Amino acid sequence: MSAARPSLDSVTTINADGSRNFLHPADTRGRWTLARRVVAWFLIAVYVLLPWIPVGAHPAVFLDVAGRRFHLLGWTLSLQETWLLFFALTGAGFALFFITALLGRVWCGWACPQTVFLEHVYRRIEVLLEGDAPARRRLDAAPWDAAKTARRVAKHALYFLVSALVAHVLLAYFVSLPRLYAMITTAPTAHWGTFLFVFVTSGLLYFNFAWFREQLCIVVCPYGRLQSALIDDHSLVVGYDAKRGEPRRQGRAGAPPPSAIGSGRAVPSEATAAVAKEGDCVDCLRCVHVCPTGIDIRQGLQMECLACTACIDACDDVMTRLRRPTGLIRYDSLAGFAGGRTKWVRPRTMLYAALLVVGAAVALLAFASVKPTAFDAMRMPGGAYFLDTDAVRNQMLVRLTNKTDAVRRVALSVEGAPAGLLLSGTDDTIELAPLAESLHTVVLRMPKPRFAGKFRYRIVARDLDGGYELVKPAEFIGPDPKLLQEDYWREKSPR
Amino acid sequence: MSPEPSGQPPHEDNLRPHTYDGIQEYDKRLPNWWLLTLYGAIAFAVAFWFVHYEASVVLPDGERVTQELNRVEAVKLAAMVDKLNDPYLWQASRNSAIVANGAATYKSVCQACHAPSLRGKAEDPKYIGANLADNAWLHGGQPTEIFKLVREGYLPRGMPPRGGQPLSDTAVLEAVAFVLSHHREGEPIVVEPPPAQ
Repeated sequence: MSAARPSLDSVTTINADGSRNFLHPADTRGRWTLARRVVAWFLIAVYVLLPWIPVGAHPAVFLDVAGRRFHLLGWTLSLQETWLLFFALTGAGFALFFITALLGRVWCGWACPQTVFLEHVYRRIEVLLEGDAPARRRLDAAPWDAAKTARRVAKHALYFLVSALVAHVLLAYFVSLPRLYAMITTAPTAHWGTFLFVFVTSGLLYFNFAWFREQLCIVVCPYGRLQSALIDDHSLVVGYDAKRGEPRRQGRAGAPPPSAIGSGRAVPSEATAAVAKEGDCVDCLRCVHVCPTGIDIRQGLQMECLACTACIDACDDVMTRLRRPTGLIRYDSLAGFAGGRTKWVRPRTMLYAALLVVGAAVALLAFASVKPTAFDAMRMPGGAYFLDTDAVRNQMLVRLTNKTDAVRRVALSVEGAPAGLLLSGTDDTIELAPLAESLHTVVLRMPKPRFAGKFRYRIVARDLDGGYELVKPAEFIGPDPKLLQEDYWREKSPR
Repeated sequence: MSPEPSGQPPHEDNLRPHTYDGIQEYDKRLPNWWLLTLYGAIAFAVAFWFVHYEASVVLPDGERVTQELNRVEAVKLAAMVDKLNDPYLWQASRNSAIVANGAATYKSVCQACHAPSLRGKAEDPKYIGANLADNAWLHGGQPTEIFKLVREGYLPRGMPPRGGQPLSDTAVLEAVAFVLSHHREGEPIVVEPPPAQ
């Protein structure tokens, strides 16, 4: 049994002197635990397998930083498309807002890598090697002997091994598996940078999952801190039905009488006095013992709660044994716990949904506008324009990038220019090798007699295989046309 | 949303003296690991400042960058001096792989001014580049002189450095080799100096 009961006034995992109270939450069994385990292993499988599954010519996800190309599920984006990240990020933001307003912290309890790896990988290793929660607490308190040392060394070695595996998979997302394998099979000296990256990442993961654990959720993660702004009385939370549970019964486990419980707001004042009515809660503290952040859910909604549902399964188990209806701790809204109805349709959810839909529509348009070729046209470094004996000359630098795995043929042309413009560099069809970048020069010359000042025109790259055009506006510049007229100088010179 | 404590706070808790909008604050000790990051960061800042700016243990950033750039430049130069002489360029101009690369670069970068035939304005007035196919050269006709001209350009006549594109030295060398492949070693060279500016 852990020391003091959790209080709303302080964090369970941090002692009064600032030292860490290392938790050993008990295991749970039940439908939510099972469902959560299935989801977690599915997510881990997705994480591990994405670099292995080829879609088209590339892995399903391959963020080729060195080649500045990002392959996502058979789709290739180049560095020029970084602006799309805006839609990806805002989309994720709106989705998170919407889901939080509706379902509370399902992300934290079900899908966050911190929870997924901690509860379903690292904690399992701990249970495997050191036994259940009471056994682990006993081992913590035991003096260091050979047996304890052996278990601890084995545990931390396994922790680091798993951390290294996770870090290697992470690297595979950026360098792809063949390259990763090549690096694994050669000496670290051949690729110090990446070796150090993986080593440090493994170390950080190890530190996080072996020791830091719930501190990340409670102290570091901003999402938990934003909860009070994101949810309202009708958002789904994991909570305790105080109306049904209070006043607590003198439990079989010899729990103290309800009056000894410090600051539970769940204890209605008239109810403490009334002995006649008895609630369903037997104050067995099962919900506290299984909590990975060490709170007492019966004290109401708290920032530390990850909505991991461990206490639901723990309480349902006890209620079933007591032949009482389950659901004393359950998924419900604060309104629902107060006896009201949960309103799913409300201004907040509608607004978040509307933002999400608008964002998704714009994102769809933006992503659809991405073409398999990137095209850039700029003035060549050097002079802004040149004066030849017979013409005004502008020089443009054209950069074409083929983002696909096939050869593409592109034709350049200039449109919208006044008659008389002489062109060179646009005659031949350009063949772009797969994933290649190609530089071209386009020289525009306007004979002096026809030059009537600067004008706008368009450089057009037509993809002959894709049937689309990429257009860049440009401006032809030169001196004031008056300066080019010979009589202008003749008139000025006599003065 | 979070429940207000039902009773008065436990008396052993220190309360800060201030009250804002009826809200008071506990005075709790921060987690030790958190304090460690704070004090660690302060200690690191002091140590870093001392090592980096006060003690002459390491060079200032600017000097280190210059030093590193000089080193890179020296390595490049050494590699070039080894290779770059007239016989080497002639040899490169007879290497089909180098010439093929050079032809591709010529096609995308140089051709717009010097014409596909290399004859430049002699081919058609719409081309503005000098004739590279005849024996007359404006800036010297030795291979290294041509390489230097392509690399540095001659802006008064509109020839931008490296043809105005971010070409590597290798790409410039290949393009020069391609041009030289249209010439023979030992052929007569006529140099027409550029008009005085």
